[in-house]
Amino acid sequence: MAASAAADCPAVRIEGLVKRLPRGVTAIAGLDLVVERGQVVGLTGPNGCGKSMTLRVLLGLVRPTAGRALLFGEAVRPGAAVLGRVGALVDGPGFVPHLSGLENLRLAWRLTGRPAAEARLDAALAVAGLDVAIDRPYRTYSHGMRYRLGLAQALLGTPDLLLLDEPTTGLDPAHVREVRTAITGVAARGGTVLLSSHVMAEVEEVCTHAAFMREGRLVAAGSVAQLTGSRRSLEAAYLDLAG
Amino acid sequence: MIRIELAKQARPRTFVALGALAGLTVALAVALELTGAGRAEPVGDIPLLLVPAASPFVLPLIALSSTMKFFLPLAVSVFAGEAVAGEARWGSLRYALGRGVSRSRFLAAKAAVAALLSLAAVLLVPLIALGAGLAMAGWQALPAVDGGASAAVRQAPAVFAPAAALGRLAVGTGYVGAGMTSVFAFAFFLSTVTARPLVAVAGGVGLTILSRVLNYDYLPGVAVLSPYLPNNDVDLWLHLFQEPARTAGMGSFLVLQAIYTGVFLALAWWWFTRRDVLS
Repeated sequence: MAASAAADCPAVRIEGLVKRLPRGVTAIAGLDLVVERGQVVGLTGPNGCGKSMTLRVLLGLVRPTAGRALLFGEAVRPGAAVLGRVGALVDGPGFVPHLSGLENLRLAWRLTGRPAAEARLDAALAVAGLDVAIDRPYRTYSHGMRYRLGLAQALLGTPDLLLLDEPTTGLDPAHVREVRTAITGVAARGGTVLLSSHVMAEVEEVCTHAAFMREGRLVAAGSVAQLTGSRRSLEAAYLDLAG
Repeated sequence: MIRIELAKQARPRTFVALGALAGLTVALAVALELTGAGRAEPVGDIPLLLVPAASPFVLPLIALSSTMKFFLPLAVSVFAGEAVAGEARWGSLRYALGRGVSRSRFLAAKAAVAALLSLAAVLLVPLIALGAGLAMAGWQALPAVDGGASAAVRQAPAVFAPAAALGRLAVGTGYVGAGMTSVFAFAFFLSTVTARPLVAVAGGVGLTILSRVLNYDYLPGVAVLSPYLPNNDVDLWLHLFQEPARTAGMGSFLVLQAIYTGVFLALAWWWFTRRDVLS
């Protein structure tokens, strides 16, 4: 594939994606979704509608039963090189409990094999905002601290695409504000964000676009303004279209 | 990547497992020094009759033969079973793999570090015991009596010069180490399947116990299975301390280990490079 062609590819392209799990559960039932570069897209829908599974497919963690997912024009496979351009926080943070937050971030980055300077550790640490706690073992962290470290990990290396699953769950208002600032910061430097959220007000505030999922399918997608239309809010649109 | 995985395993559980093996060996040395010094001790199924404190090589033989059937397989199961499943339970597996790291390389690093820790466990026991033995007896030859013969026809002890005894102990340790590879590979395979490390550890220990239980010594009816169970003949190295040394059965045991190890490591790789990561 020529580099010039790849430069025009959307950040995310999902085509006819199906994921069936053992015991007959269909997590994703034919999903088509395109996220253009620079967009901040809110993926919303009821619990179990396939949001997290979609993000896992994009990370090469789950193999689709049918269909395909492309990131920047490259098909996602386990170990795909393009995953080096992606930062993610899916189904909560996950770190080595007996190591400190800082050691965890360093190890997570070293695993990529890229130079330490590219990690932009300082910027990620600023988002985590853990101060001296960054040197304490991870297992001593509160829920909110763990989440912020997870977000810092996702922001390592200034990713071109950020995949976030419920990024503000369980955070206090001040940190919700910081997370939203970090998301808009990624967008401001030309990055792309795909986040899942239950909170319509959050999607309305930070996202340029939204996609409503239900039972593993896309039911509506477009800019926040388009989806809202003449309704009072994006929430009203969601209840109309997907609720 | 191996250095990264080593850093992750520098944790309390690793030190407890290795420390417990070391402690067990020291306790054995102390117990034999207090109660058994000067009295012949039977070791293994032959049995060998050895006199603790007569030679520095008695303790390593006793320590290795009393840990090879349970405590060493347990330690090896802990290291192999925790390898991937531990990371799944922490929730860090999805982030490690989501960064585009090759699953094969990741698995190889995990296997290498677990194998390194297992090797440390196997070496720790005879090394500590030898150290204690040297402190107690100095650099002495090893007299060993084949206790299998009836008392009436018992021969004079075979005497192994210190260097020869050390060489045979090294071979015996290598043999025991090779005997751990089947348990290692099985627990490591389970570790790629489950997100619960305890299940993988229990699987490795379970294979060891199963192979002890389905042993012709206890259950003559299952004699047909005996040659295929991976832990039965782990004690054959003790025959090296007879004169002449007997090596019967050792070759087929090593082949059996290689088959178990090859099959389960291949299965681990096959499954891990294809599985969905839902943890």
